[in-house]
Amino acid sequence: MKLNILFFATLRDKAKTKSVELTLNEGLTVADLKTELATRFPELASSLPTTIVSRNKEFANSDEVLKDGDEVAVFPPVSGG
Amino acid sequence: MSNLQSSTINHQYPTVFKITNDPIDLDSLLASITLPSTGAACVFTGMVRGVTKRDDPHETAYLEYEAYIPMAEAKMKQVADEIRERWSSVEGIAVVQRIGRLEPMTPTVLIACTAAHRDTGVFEAARYGIDRLKEIVPVWKKEVGPNGEEWVEGEYLPSEKDKS
Repeated sequence: MKLNILFFATLRDKAKTKSVELTLNEGLTVADLKTELATRFPELASSLPTTIVSRNKEFANSDEVLKDGDEVAVFPPVSGG
Repeated sequence: MSNLQSSTINHQYPTVFKITNDPIDLDSLLASITLPSTGAACVFTGMVRGVTKRDDPHETAYLEYEAYIPMAEAKMKQVADEIRERWSSVEGIAVVQRIGRLEPMTPTVLIACTAAHRDTGVFEAARYGIDRLKEIVPVWKKEVGPNGEEWVEGEYLPSEKDKS
């Protein structure tokens, strides 16, 4: 399946890209995605434990299964206001 | 009043939520959440602090804000919905976050709640709104000062109860 991953804030700076399209195995969970990102973007590895993942604009649990075409974003804890 | 009537009336209460690059226009936002029955508004607004004295004293040249806009607006709506669940007295709600490069003394965020009277929970509702925005609305700021730039990172890690 294909997933478009959006990066924000520190994660975008570290990955040096705003988004990436990845081809991944079916049944991939949010936790698996983090492992995959650590492999493809080693510079993200240290941030991943506190990285928040959203799926279709909603927070995703680590055991949530991602589906083809989902809009996925990864970002640090928010600091708006 | 029956639940049906109450929910019908509730439907007419205005909710404004947006991420914007433009200056925050307090007068027009307040007008948009003021009804004939409104007698009180509580407005919280935050601005860029150029000189910080508390905790880690430092100076700020400017802040650079960014947002994951579609999710941020969805989560702002969730904040407004949560306010209405907790304070049925609240009439209008405005939730606005400005993004881009913002200089000291510039308003960056606004939460406003209106109600018929001031003793109905509007102060608490606005306080809840800004606290929740800082937990679940995907917006980030980079701080630029005399010694360089640094992303400000929050601490809140969302869980099941933060989903809408």
